[in-house]
Amino acid sequence: MATIGLRAFEMFASRLSCRPPRIHAFTLRSLTTGTTATPPPLNSRFVPPASLETMDEVELEGDQVDFDVSSRPHRPRPENRRPVPPSPAFYTARSLYYDTLVQLQAALSLSRRALRVQHLLPLPPFALRALPPAQPAWANKAEMSLILQAPLTARMYKRVVTLLKELEQCERIARIADSTELEDAITDITKGFESKKGIQARDTRIRAREAKEKGPLDKYGRSYTVGRRKTSTARVWMIEVQKPKDDASVPAANTKSILSSSSATTPPPPTSTVLINSVPISDYFPLPADREHVVRPLKLAGLLGAFNIFALVRGGGTSGQSGAIALAVAKGCVAHVPEVEPILKKAKLLRRDPRMVERKKTGLAKARKRYTWVKR
Amino acid sequence: MALRPWTTATRCLRRQRVLPCNAARTTHTAPNSNLESSIESPEDWHLMQENRARFKTLFDLFNQHGSTQTREKTFQPHHTLSRPLAPSQTTLSALVAAGAHFGHTTSLMNPNFLPYSFGTRAGLTIIDLEQTLPLLRRAASLVRAVAQRNGTIIFVGTRPDLQDTIQRASERLGPQGYHIGERWLPGTLTNRNQLFQEESHQYRLTPDLVVFLNPLANMNAIRECAIQHVPTIGIIDSNADPRIVMYPIPANDDSPRTAQIIAGVLSVAGREGVVARGEDQKTYQHQAHRILIKQALTGEGNS
Repeated sequence: MATIGLRAFEMFASRLSCRPPRIHAFTLRSLTTGTTATPPPLNSRFVPPASLETMDEVELEGDQVDFDVSSRPHRPRPENRRPVPPSPAFYTARSLYYDTLVQLQAALSLSRRALRVQHLLPLPPFALRALPPAQPAWANKAEMSLILQAPLTARMYKRVVTLLKELEQCERIARIADSTELEDAITDITKGFESKKGIQARDTRIRAREAKEKGPLDKYGRSYTVGRRKTSTARVWMIEVQKPKDDASVPAANTKSILSSSSATTPPPPTSTVLINSVPISDYFPLPADREHVVRPLKLAGLLGAFNIFALVRGGGTSGQSGAIALAVAKGCVAHVPEVEPILKKAKLLRRDPRMVERKKTGLAKARKRYTWVKR
Repeated sequence: MALRPWTTATRCLRRQRVLPCNAARTTHTAPNSNLESSIESPEDWHLMQENRARFKTLFDLFNQHGSTQTREKTFQPHHTLSRPLAPSQTTLSALVAAGAHFGHTTSLMNPNFLPYSFGTRAGLTIIDLEQTLPLLRRAASLVRAVAQRNGTIIFVGTRPDLQDTIQRASERLGPQGYHIGERWLPGTLTNRNQLFQEESHQYRLTPDLVVFLNPLANMNAIRECAIQHVPTIGIIDSNADPRIVMYPIPANDDSPRTAQIIAGVLSVAGREGVVARGEDQKTYQHQAHRILIKQALTGEGNS
């Protein structure tokens, strides 16, 4: 795959009136045949060989019972009659890896030369910064080891990926400059090193970036957050309470001075609904301590009654569920009103409580409780 | 001497105005092209490209009328790699310029290296290049002969600065050249059935010649070559024993430029051998063809 890409690349680069590059030894190998048998002299009669060791395996016509080449018994050929190893990096025992490195380096220098011919290189630094960001989908180390048929260490993998990144940058420059031939030529080479997992990971990254850019709220203005505590998981949707639209409503600035406002014109305190598993909070959490946990982030942020909350919680017991909902509510407040984040952070309400039930250990009655010590 | 010397120092430094370096400036951009820093639209970009192209044509046009000592004709540092010398063109001054005569500290000199040392200077052993040159030519003719007889040659250089050298050297020998740049795996020759399982029965694995650019780091490889009776060439520094390889080339093994010159010379000789083999094959085939024609003619004449 890479060889074909590089051959096409060399032809393309020579068409761009660059100096035609040397044909790499890798391609030369495909042209030469391994055997160097000399033609027999034309005048001689048949002379039987001195020993059967030097003869090639003779196949009699009636013997072709099995067509499977690998199962036929092999008479070992002497070493000097065999072809030479094909790859120049054969003796490294990682020939495909080193050949790939050489080819990628060659492709990189060819593409840089092609860009320089079109005066696209060297790019001024601000133009380099203005290039669209790279979105790589390279195979991971394990997959690359399969592609390159060699066990890769982290350093070896990094070498390949560095070269691929440089090639990808040349491709981006070519794409921006509408140099489609060069762009396609580079893509032909780099697509052999991408993998399905890498493409999936890239798509996930793009989607995550887009979701981040869109904002934390969906099209109806709801936030969706998740909180966990002990073994409970809470999923919480928060939406702003709709303010009444009549003109007679007193503006919010009026609530600042206590003396100026009269009791007749003060608006009623904002009320909101909090439903947990489709049950009102007072029914779901009979204990006031649990209700306090849920409501505390809103109190500290000053957003009591500002949001209608709908929570689905599963797993654990009362305090675990209330803690999970509290975390999700705190995250939801931050999603709606980002200015509130430092307040909640200081109050440690944005921290997922890592405390879980500790396991019982052998030789102990419980996680920490020891059996009664006996002197004898 | 001034009473307060640091003030004079700062005054001197203040006088030198550091010119702003244009990172984007190349030989094909005009000296005062401020356009490159103020590109805002595609039209500006195309304008910049046109300016560059125009300046380049002007530059190339006037280049023909200026000094004859151009970049193409002057020695550039990459020429030792990209334009290797032939064995007959290698001179003492080329080796001295590459620093091939610098050995290691005198205290580290191997006693068996004494015949190849010229003397000492500044605590270093100086290698006698007048012995190096004929030994280099001897090694080159060996490489040429091996290549001419369809032998395989491995270039071993296991340092990061030797990678390009060995790759290009092996390229010049075509299908007969190989390189090892990272590590000689122990057992490459002596345990080949385990390292190369199917290939050990398919291909001819014993090389006909191995060239070491840093032999001291590859003693395992040298030992394996000795066990398998593979002739070796090596760059021997003053701290090495010249007898470890069959054809020593006494020179500085730490200098990449020296390694480039030596590997270049050997690979050029190898290329000559490959070409000579090709021509021999052609003449042989030509002769065989003529014999065939003659036979056909005499056969017709007889009958």
